[in-house]
This record gives sequence, C-alpha cells and structure tokens, in this order.
Amino acid sequence: MAPGNRVRRGAIVLLAAVFLVQGWLGLRLDTWVHPQPFKNSEPHMAVVDKKVSSTLRAVAYLTGTKVLIGHLFWIQVIQYYGDTANSADRYSKLYDYCSLASDLNPCFVTIYTFGAAALAFHLKRYDQAERLLQKGILSNPNDVRLKLLLASINYENSQNYATLIPFLEAQIDQGEAPTILVHILANTYQKLGKYDAAIALWQRCLKNSDLDSQRIEAAYYLQELYRLKKSKP
Amino acid sequence: MKKVLTVAAFTYRELIRSNMFYVWLVSVVVLSGLAMVLSMLSFGDSVKIFLDLGLVAMEMGGTIVLLLSLAVTYNTEMDQKAIFLQLAKPITRGEYLLGRVLGFYMVVGLFVLGMGLVIAGLGVCWGGTIPGLFWASSVYLLMEMFLLCTLGLTFQMMGTTMVGSFLYTVFTIFLGHLIGEIEWLLGQDIASWIKTLLRYIEIVLPNMEVFNLKDRLYDPTLILGWAQYRDTFLYAFGYSFVVFMIGWINLEKREFK
Repeated sequence: MAPGNRVRRGAIVLLAAVFLVQGWLGLRLDTWVHPQPFKNSEPHMAVVDKKVSSTLRAVAYLTGTKVLIGHLFWIQVIQYYGDTANSADRYSKLYDYCSLASDLNPCFVTIYTFGAAALAFHLKRYDQAERLLQKGILSNPNDVRLKLLLASINYENSQNYATLIPFLEAQIDQGEAPTILVHILANTYQKLGKYDAAIALWQRCLKNSDLDSQRIEAAYYLQELYRLKKSKP
Repeated sequence: MKKVLTVAAFTYRELIRSNMFYVWLVSVVVLSGLAMVLSMLSFGDSVKIFLDLGLVAMEMGGTIVLLLSLAVTYNTEMDQKAIFLQLAKPITRGEYLLGRVLGFYMVVGLFVLGMGLVIAGLGVCWGGTIPGLFWASSVYLLMEMFLLCTLGLTFQMMGTTMVGSFLYTVFTIFLGHLIGEIEWLLGQDIASWIKTLLRYIEIVLPNMEVFNLKDRLYDPTLILGWAQYRDTFLYAFGYSFVVFMIGWINLEKREFK
C-alpha cells in the first residue's frame, strides 16, 4: 500500500474514532445536563393560553435561554397580578402562570414564595398554593423558606392559629427569617385583633432590618396598625 | 505551527479592524442595559436576576460577534477573492483553516471575557457578590464559543453564499439546544426506526446544552467537578476536531476560480 493511502486510511480511522468518542461523551453528558425530568405533566398547559405557553417554551428550548424567558415571563406574571382588572375572576390564571414560570426557571425561589403567598393568603386557594410550593421544594430541596411557608399555609388553611403563631414566632426569633413570614405573623395577629403584638413585631423589624425597603415597609404597616388600633380600641 | 499562528494573528487583526469592537461595545451597552432594566422591573433578588441575564447577554454578544465576523470574512475571503493571496503562500489549506479558527476564537473569546468582566463589575457595584458558578459558566461559554467558531468556519468552507453559511450556523446552534427534547422523545413510545434516526441525529448535532451552565446557576442538584470539566472539554475538542476535519476536506476539494 502506498504511504499516502496509509496516511489517508489512518486519518479516516482517527476521524471515525474521535466522532464516536464525542458521540459517547455527548450522551454521557446528557444525564448530567438533565438529571431530573424537565417536563411538567400538570394540566396547566390547557388553561394558560396555548399560543403563549408553546411559543415561550419553543423560544426557550430552541435558543437555550430558559432562564431569560423565565425571567421575562415572570415580569408578565407580576403585571397580571398587579392589574386590578384581573381581580374580577379572582386572578384565575395565577397558579398556571406561576407554574409555567417555574417550569422555565425552576430554581428561582421568588416564584414559589410570591405565588404561594398570593394564592393562599389573598385568594384562599390553599390547594394550588401547596402544589406550587411542593413543586418548588422538589426543585430546591435545600431551601428552608419554602418548607416554612408550606407549614404556615397548612396551619392557616386549618385555622390552626394556636399552632401557627408559636411556630412563626419561633422561626422569626431564630433570625434571618424571610420577610414573608413576618408578614404572615403580623397579618395573623391583626386578624385575631392582637394589634399590640403586630405593632411590636413591625417595630422590631423597623429596628433590626438592614434593608431600607424593609424599614419603609415596616413603617407603612405601623402607621396602618396605629390607625386601626385608634379606630377599633 | 508558526504559519498557523501567523494566520491566526492576521485574522485577529482583520476582525479587530473591521469595526467588530463597535459591535461589541453596542452589545455590551444594549444587552447589559436590558439586563439591568429587566432585573429592576422584576420582583425578587435583582442582582441574581441581573447576573442570570448577564450570562445570557455574554452568550448572545459572543454569538453576534461570531456571526458578523463570519459574514464579514466570507465577503472579503470568498467574494473578493482575498483567500487567493493566502493560499498562494507556502501554507497548506489545513494550516490556513486552523489559523482562521484560532484567530476567530481569540476575538470571540476576548469579547466574551470582556463582557463577563463588565457584567461582574456592574454586579459588584450593585452590591452583589459574584457566585463561583458565574465564572464556571464563563469557562463553559468559552468552550462553547470554540466549538461554534470551528462550526461556523466549516460552514463557511462548505457554503456557496454568505447567507447560506450564516443560516447553517444559526440553525445548527438552535438545533443543538434541542438535544434535551430529542432525549425526551427517545423516552416516549415511538417507532423503533424513528428512535434510531433520532439517536443518529443526537450524535451528529452539537450538544449545546452541555455548555448551558448559565441556566443552572442556582440549581442545587448541579454537580460540577473535575470530571464534568474534563468530559465537557473533551467533548468540545472532539466535536470541533471532527467538524474541523470536515471543513478541511471541503476546503481541499474546493476550487477557487
């Protein structure tokens, strides 16, 4: 065999070998890229506007920008919840929107905390809030906030204030509790007419918080509570 | 190797001089500005959202620079016949192509890294901390860009028009991100011949999701260690090698009149 032919044959064999190795590596890395099922079998696809959901998914998966599309869609969800026109049907699509946003961006915990708090404490749709949080816990098993919120919603749902209040107080006393728990506890105090306890909680938040936004929020709620206390002695 | 480096340096200078810096500057301003505005509009940790979107901006910026570079060099090399001058020199076509790949990669890599520094700097100025995975994602982006440079130049060697090679590259990038969907389809109850076909497609297409670490920046299930870096690097190198060889064969067979 001529040396040229031998080199050519060697090059083809090498090329084929590298091709097979890259194929094997690609398949092996697939299990690393998708360690958990990324498809959601929930029926929300049928409720959310199909054109919206399928277009979003197609763009996200085709361009490899699931997180980008997830964040863009999340802004749309906030706008949906902020639009009072949607209150006529009690924000019927909120759960489905949150679910779709979390499909695209499963590690963005705000979707679960915000969505579940709105669904449970505002819209009283406890089952949907729990389902959303369970989905969040599956994707973020180490995030304590989601577990705390799920417990709070369960107590709230069962009107079990005797358990809910000490549970939340203990969590907040430990420090670094998410603001949402402070809100839940303050609202529960307010619901039960314990204005002084609610005021003390917000005063503590005003004193200890490092964030300006939280201090402003605490001051706002304190004003509201003083007004309420004055009107309902 | 000296000849390859000479071609790489020439390509680098050619691209830098063709106003790519302005493209990069516009990309940085527009994409980081958009990322900042969106993170302010959103509800949640603004810096985290900004870094998420910043990584997307880095990838988009790198891809835009690469695609424009491909279009510009196709015009000068193929349409205006500048390739004649280079191939008339004592240099093989393989050395020429490798030099082009390295030159492209130097420019695109520099732009991606520059954008990464801008994003990280803005994130720090905003009061955030940069997670270690941000830099890991940047390394993965650089590996992705190497593969894309090789792929784009191979299509340039195969394509007969600038638009054709541009579109081949764009669609291959898109299809490469669908590997996960193909994997999902393979798990479904479908005809065996379709499964076999899909398996071949899966192996032939570049697996772009392998480099997509930016979508998993806060994924608690992510395991990233030496083994993952090694496998991904080998995959990027192996795939690029095969694609480079195909490009080389095409360039050898190509007749320039």
